[in-house]
Amino acid sequence: MEFTFDNNIPIYIQVLEYMKIYLISGVFKCGEKLPSVREFATTFKVNPNTMQRALAELESMNLIYTERTNGKYVTKDTKLISKLKDEYATTLAKSYFEGMKRIGLGKADSIKYLEGIEE
Amino acid sequence: MFIKLLKYDLKYMIKNMSVFYILSLFFAITTRLLFSLNETVMIKIISQISVGCMFAMIANTLINTIMRSWIRFRDSIYKDEAYLTHTLPVTKNDIYNSKFIQTLIFFIISFVVIIISLFITYYTKERWMMLKDYIGMITTGLDFNTTIFVISFITIIFLEIFNAIQCGFLGIILGYKKNNNKIGFSVVFGFVAYLLSQSMVLLLVFIVGLFDSSIMSLFENNILLDVHSFKILVILSIVLYIFIIGLMSIICKKEFNKGVNIE
Amino acid sequence: MELLEIKNLTKSFDNKNILEDINLKISSGKIIGLLGKNGAGKTTLIKLINDLLTKTEGEILIKGKNIGVESKKVISYLPERTYLNKQMKVSEVIDYFKDFYDNFDADKARKLLKDLGLDVNQKISKMSKGMQEKVGLVLVMSRNADLYILDEPLGGVDPATRDYILDTILSNFNENASVIISTHLISDIERILDEVIFIDKGKIILQSDADKLRKKEKLSIDEIFRRMFKCS
Repeated sequence: MEFTFDNNIPIYIQVLEYMKIYLISGVFKCGEKLPSVREFATTFKVNPNTMQRALAELESMNLIYTERTNGKYVTKDTKLISKLKDEYATTLAKSYFEGMKRIGLGKADSIKYLEGIEE
Repeated sequence: MFIKLLKYDLKYMIKNMSVFYILSLFFAITTRLLFSLNETVMIKIISQISVGCMFAMIANTLINTIMRSWIRFRDSIYKDEAYLTHTLPVTKNDIYNSKFIQTLIFFIISFVVIIISLFITYYTKERWMMLKDYIGMITTGLDFNTTIFVISFITIIFLEIFNAIQCGFLGIILGYKKNNNKIGFSVVFGFVAYLLSQSMVLLLVFIVGLFDSSIMSLFENNILLDVHSFKILVILSIVLYIFIIGLMSIICKKEFNKGVNIE
Repeated sequence: MELLEIKNLTKSFDNKNILEDINLKISSGKIIGLLGKNGAGKTTLIKLINDLLTKTEGEILIKGKNIGVESKKVISYLPERTYLNKQMKVSEVIDYFKDFYDNFDADKARKLLKDLGLDVNQKISKMSKGMQEKVGLVLVMSRNADLYILDEPLGGVDPATRDYILDTILSNFNENASVIISTHLISDIERILDEVIFIDKGKIILQSDADKLRKKEKLSIDEIFRRMFKCS
């Protein structure tokens, strides 16, 4: 995965978004140990402090937790992850419908378009 | 750290000086061999050229020792390389001392190479005896041991030139404090430093003269030095030169420690 | 104790102030961008910290001590020009660094040079300017220093090398160290910065956390800089 960052938005927020996708899509599973801050920083090609900030944010959302001396783990609370997934999917759906609305299409029509897309 | 600095300074000088040493000795040996051949016109011409080359190389050795010391000093302390020199974890005194010792060592080597070259070219038993007699004539007149006389004489010349080299260092240190025409100022300051050091030697001799009337006679017209005061004068010059060189190096380090401004 | 603290620093040439009353604190573990236009005083400030210029007034403290042997042990500095002895081979320069810097990791330097496809047996003078710059950066980043000071490390390099340089900086400084990067090419570098310092006409205009500044202004650092210093 190639990470691109928009310099107009705080970098840690963008890293946070990428991390959420990782958690939702199960790249890191519930209860799984996460790589170190440094390793993450290298993959994202960002400053370790920025990475640290993004992880702290995740931690404050209880999506990950720190085990003293052992490092960081993904939460064992599967409900929390599904909730995150739910929220994320809703946001995506909303933005889709908003876009369709702008070009004058209602919900029913929009769904038809969705069904028409072949995966 | 000083030893490490010196190692790199010596390496630089070896790289730049060895060619002159080799060529001096090469032409000395060649000349010697040519002298030993039959004296045809052709050989005579070639050996004359060879003698010329030998002297040219000797002169080059001497001039390069002096010039390279200055160039090395300037380049590693004030030019691009200064970015490395001044960011090494070493004191400014170590940097200066390393240059000082490097110059001293190579000046000695150059001196020896020059003497050896001359020796190889011209040594014969007769000439050696002649030279010895000649110097002996002077020294007996002065009531001096020949060996000591020669050594003192060489030492004085050596210290004199070495003092000049160090005055050049001071000139560079002061010249590079200026914002423009640094080289011009370096030459002027170096020259002034040299003149001052010479006048200081003279002044000190005069001061000693105040306590020793025979030395004072130096400063009075038309009176030749007597044997006794000549001896004192030789010793005095050596002591004074060493003193001046030491003093000058303290001044150099003091000025150097005030800091540099690298372009 | 701050890693680097500068108090009321002034530098003047011919009675003209090049830097005026600089006050600055830099703590450990940060990547800091020293940003300013050409001639703003970035290099002058950096040279003062590295003992290449003599201050006119003020104080520069590294871990509470004045500039000297101790500060030079812990600062790893990349000048904006190529400064290595061109007569030397790369391997000789490595030995030189090993001789003088206790914290220099020669194996790491060799490895990084190999990754870049540079030959350690080549003479510096035989290398292109870009190659020389890479050698310089590798040497500097191979020291386990407390403060890395990189003056315009992205000067004239191509985008691929630029990415490599940024990666090298990111992956080679240790957590307790700080990196100061001076540049006028802000957009290339801003994603890796923790903190930014804007310098203009010899004065510090602003020192701030990079992301906080983005959040506040809703703009990139580059754009904030451009607006602040719109050719006036």
